[in-house]
Amino acid sequence: MTRYNILVTGVGGQGLLTLGRVVGNAAILAGIDATIAETHGLSQRGGSLIVQIRLGDGESPLIPRGAADLIIGMEVLETARRIVYANKNTRIAMNKFLWPPPLADYPDLDQVISRIKETGVKLYIVDANKLSEEVVGSVISANMVMLGFAYAVDDGLKKLFEKEHFLKAMERVFRGKAAELNKKAFEKGYEEGLKQA
Amino acid sequence: MGNEAIARGALEAGICFAAAYPGTPSTEIMEALAAVARDAGIYVEWSTNEKVAFEAAYAAAMSYVKSLTTMKHVGVNVAADILMSSAYAGVNAGFVIVSADDPGQHSSQNEQDNRWYGMHAHIPVVEPASPRDAYRLVKAAYMLSEKYKHPVLFRSTTRISHTRQPVTFEEDIPVEKKCKGRFDRDIERWVLVPAHGRKQKKRMMEVWRRVAEEEGVEPFIKIINPGMKKAIIAGGIAYSHVMEALEVLGKKDEYTVVKVSLPVPLPYKPILEVLKESQEILVVEELDPVLEMQVKKLAYENGVESKIHGKDYVPINGELDLDSVARSILSFEGREPVMPWKPLEPLHLEPPVPARPPVMCAGCPHRNTYYIVKTAANKAGLKDPIFTGDIGCYTLGYEPPFYTQMTSLEMGGSIGVAHGLSKVVDEPVIAVIGDSTFYHAGLPPSVNIIYNKGHAVILVLDNQYTAMTGHQPHPGTGLTAMGEPTVRVPIEKLLETMGYKTYVINPMNVKESINIVAEALKKYKEGEQVAIVSRMKCALQAVRKARKEGIKLPVYHIVEDKCTGCMVCVKLLACPAIVVPKGAKKPKILPELCVGCGLCAQVCPFKAIEVFKEGSPNWLEAWK
Repeated sequence: MTRYNILVTGVGGQGLLTLGRVVGNAAILAGIDATIAETHGLSQRGGSLIVQIRLGDGESPLIPRGAADLIIGMEVLETARRIVYANKNTRIAMNKFLWPPPLADYPDLDQVISRIKETGVKLYIVDANKLSEEVVGSVISANMVMLGFAYAVDDGLKKLFEKEHFLKAMERVFRGKAAELNKKAFEKGYEEGLKQA
Repeated sequence: MGNEAIARGALEAGICFAAAYPGTPSTEIMEALAAVARDAGIYVEWSTNEKVAFEAAYAAAMSYVKSLTTMKHVGVNVAADILMSSAYAGVNAGFVIVSADDPGQHSSQNEQDNRWYGMHAHIPVVEPASPRDAYRLVKAAYMLSEKYKHPVLFRSTTRISHTRQPVTFEEDIPVEKKCKGRFDRDIERWVLVPAHGRKQKKRMMEVWRRVAEEEGVEPFIKIINPGMKKAIIAGGIAYSHVMEALEVLGKKDEYTVVKVSLPVPLPYKPILEVLKESQEILVVEELDPVLEMQVKKLAYENGVESKIHGKDYVPINGELDLDSVARSILSFEGREPVMPWKPLEPLHLEPPVPARPPVMCAGCPHRNTYYIVKTAANKAGLKDPIFTGDIGCYTLGYEPPFYTQMTSLEMGGSIGVAHGLSKVVDEPVIAVIGDSTFYHAGLPPSVNIIYNKGHAVILVLDNQYTAMTGHQPHPGTGLTAMGEPTVRVPIEKLLETMGYKTYVINPMNVKESINIVAEALKKYKEGEQVAIVSRMKCALQAVRKARKEGIKLPVYHIVEDKCTGCMVCVKLLACPAIVVPKGAKKPKILPELCVGCGLCAQVCPFKAIEVFKEGSPNWLEAWK
């Protein structure tokens, strides 16, 4: 079986590692083997960050460039930076949030979106920060909004997982009230995704 | 996570003692052990540095208590002295040293390959191919250590340590463990005077010979699909890349694959068999040709004429992955490396996507301290100070706009280098070092400056934790690894005792701190030995405490009418919470990122930055 490759990209502090852990737990519940490669240490400090999730049998943890089936972009510039992990059949689920690094000049949102679209990939955009604020009162659950959204728009994920797998996985990763809020955030993202799928 | 798998394996092997100094990518091993230490009935500590941790864990193994020490690859350099001696004297219970290497330098100053340490010290090296493999092999490493009464080096890498994978536990953690040791007064063994050392060396070399002779068996050496004309010998994580690459390229049946989990010393018997059976051999390993050299030596000594390749096809720099290994295999076969995956071209954006190096967090006390010390240096008339630097989050001060880290070489280096510079250059020298790093390796060079009449300011950034690796407690925190309260060892008292006139500031009080530091720097100019301790809790910990205790932190905003767009806040502070929206002439504060430290408000020349959402009346408690 060819492994299913999900690249999660964003800025340290946006909850990428947590997103990876939820997918990992969902994989255990769904009986799918998985590797999730994280980066730690200094990379957490507001730097560019990727998490590489590979589902299916195999142990090599890094995704070759061009081999991502799905990219979950928590931030616009970081999604643009990692576009080389995509091929023309890749689906990209992107948070409509552009967070420029301090003191830097940068391309604007519309330009990035149109350039990504020109490549022919399937791009799905959602304002996950806003939806997270609506549901939980802060941007803290934007990662789960993005996961729900990605699940709704990506057929590959749907073939591998039931929605329940993710909801149960969140109960394993979060405790008490946090689990409930994150599940709501996931559902919100999922609803939004269905509108675009 | 691979590190958790290693911790679990060590627990199942029956360890009762574990000591370490944190360092990426090794840290979570000890964190996982500390979290369960009481339930599992084991002792866990964060020691002051890797050498001290090694000595503590080694003492347990000298005394019949199985033990573990873990460190990042460069930590082994710190512990190298005792590492060498431990191989001479050996152990009385299983003793494993985990070296978590960092190919690709995700968070390190180099990518040294610590399998060489095994070769150098005559300590066998065990190396896993995946987190799951690490779980099993740690247990095998303990068996090896017990069998030969010898230390064993367990080499992990970032992609093993920081990869998550489902791991099924094979056994329980033993309830009965040997935790109480006894010390044999075996002087000839523990006192390595030359006469004893010579005897111990013979024991060590006999172990070395026997491991290479006897351990060419699973799980250390595994041969897949024997008898093929072409063979790949792969060590560590390279094995996982090789297996998937052969699968993707449809070449699984064409190759014999040797999985090497004991690269040093390479057990030669099964390898020699493969060398005789296969005509073309590719050695695939990350970083240096440690296996390749041993395989080639083996072929030479046995008159084997097979062609042996390695680093002529496999990259020597950086980490390997599926893509690079697949390319190496195709090149080895003399084919064009055409890959099944077709990446998109990078996007043509104007301006291009800017680099995003890690930055100091919003509210980071280091930002305050750097602003304060630079302003105070001007005020004190201290011209062009050289800032020597060290290893920690504060290393980010090398970036604009701070430029307060001009060296960062190794732990504690800021002070030692500052001393040497003060002897040979005219500029004033300020050594900037973090709290944990100061306890780790900052004490001897601080004494050295006083003793040898050097002249450099020591600036200790005390945020109360070993922050960069995830807020482990240290001797200034007041907590042990197992969460017990303990004494604090005040850095200012240590420095005062050595002979420094020591000033303590709270950098949240910007103006007051500037005055104190300026006074300190004037004293320094007058020839006094001066040290400054800047104490303010790590912002991430303050935010965590606020969240936990329901404390609201204030949030600032920029009042548009008062802001002149001078950009002082943006240019002097580089705070990730202050952004300039595309095309805008004035900056704004992202309220979801602001943690209310108030530095920008104190810096703004037009008083245009004000509290926008009041914090709880007790919000300052969060920072204590």
